[in-house]
Amino acid sequence: MGRAIVITSGKGGVGKTTTAANLGASLAQRGHSVVLVDADIGLRNLDVVMGLENRIVYHLVDIVRGRCTAQKALIRDRRIDNLYLLPSSQSDEKESVSPDEMRDLVRALKGAYDYVLIDCPAGIEQGFRNAVAGADEAIVVATPEVSSIRDADRVVGLLAAEDIPTRLICNRISAEMVKRGDMLSQDDVIEILSLELLGAVPLDDAIVSSTNKGMPATLAGARSAAARAYENIASRVTGEIDDVAVAQGIGFFARIGRALGLSPA
Amino acid sequence: MWNEIKGLFGARRASREEAKGRLHLVLAHDRAGLDGSRLQDLRGEIAAVIARYVEIDPESVELDVERVSRDDTHLRVSSPLRAR
Repeated sequence: MGRAIVITSGKGGVGKTTTAANLGASLAQRGHSVVLVDADIGLRNLDVVMGLENRIVYHLVDIVRGRCTAQKALIRDRRIDNLYLLPSSQSDEKESVSPDEMRDLVRALKGAYDYVLIDCPAGIEQGFRNAVAGADEAIVVATPEVSSIRDADRVVGLLAAEDIPTRLICNRISAEMVKRGDMLSQDDVIEILSLELLGAVPLDDAIVSSTNKGMPATLAGARSAAARAYENIASRVTGEIDDVAVAQGIGFFARIGRALGLSPA
Repeated sequence: MWNEIKGLFGARRASREEAKGRLHLVLAHDRAGLDGSRLQDLRGEIAAVIARYVEIDPESVELDVERVSRDDTHLRVSSPLRAR
């Protein structure tokens, strides 16, 4: 039985879809079978971020309505083995699928794939309830901004009420701005949200260009800083690495210094 | 010159700390479910109760919602007593 992980944030535009695409590609590169589920009914995006928009025939709502089998709607990513996309519908309403129907769908997918990554829509209404319905665990994506963290806190509360274990990805951190005191640090975000950190992703131009091309940064040949961060997050998700500092490539001496309180956490 | 030095140390620190302070305040109110008008109503009622027992200026009663941690949010009422 696979693991279903919902990627959520409350606020839009903080990098949920990019996280789903890159984490999914990275897990597939590690040899796991992965299906990316776009749960944003009416506003599908994961297909374009993945560069698979031209291959959609059937979608999530078609499966739920019994218009096709799950196998028919799934798009296999030809760039890498074991990676599939279940696109959302662009023309249906969020209410066209119920949380129970989503739960059944995700359970069926878990039977066939190691990881089911669910890309949650922004907001905390029906779309959110659908996306979390079948999830075993959650990843909350937050950028170091007041509005993003406020919304993330709301979502963390809702996930806690559903008893869904939740971890945090701090997205778009600029080490330089943190150093200048002009940006909240990942530790500030962790402290405020009281969540376990899964990883921090640096602000990286490579994400913009890879999104333009429809090629997740983790699938692109050149290793960008963000791609490395996503790969580290993937190894934390699988449990290969369970130390965030190691996963983030923080050096041995820096960690000792940190443990001794010599350098900032 | 002084302003540049100040910029390097003092003012530069500000925006991160300001964000933290604002977040603590906003989240405290969010988690308590107390928005502006409910907080005003609560303040008014508490002031009225206090005024039944001791002499106060109802306008000086202050309510603060403070988030100590995720599971620990405090409501603090402060009310200066009028000197006899």
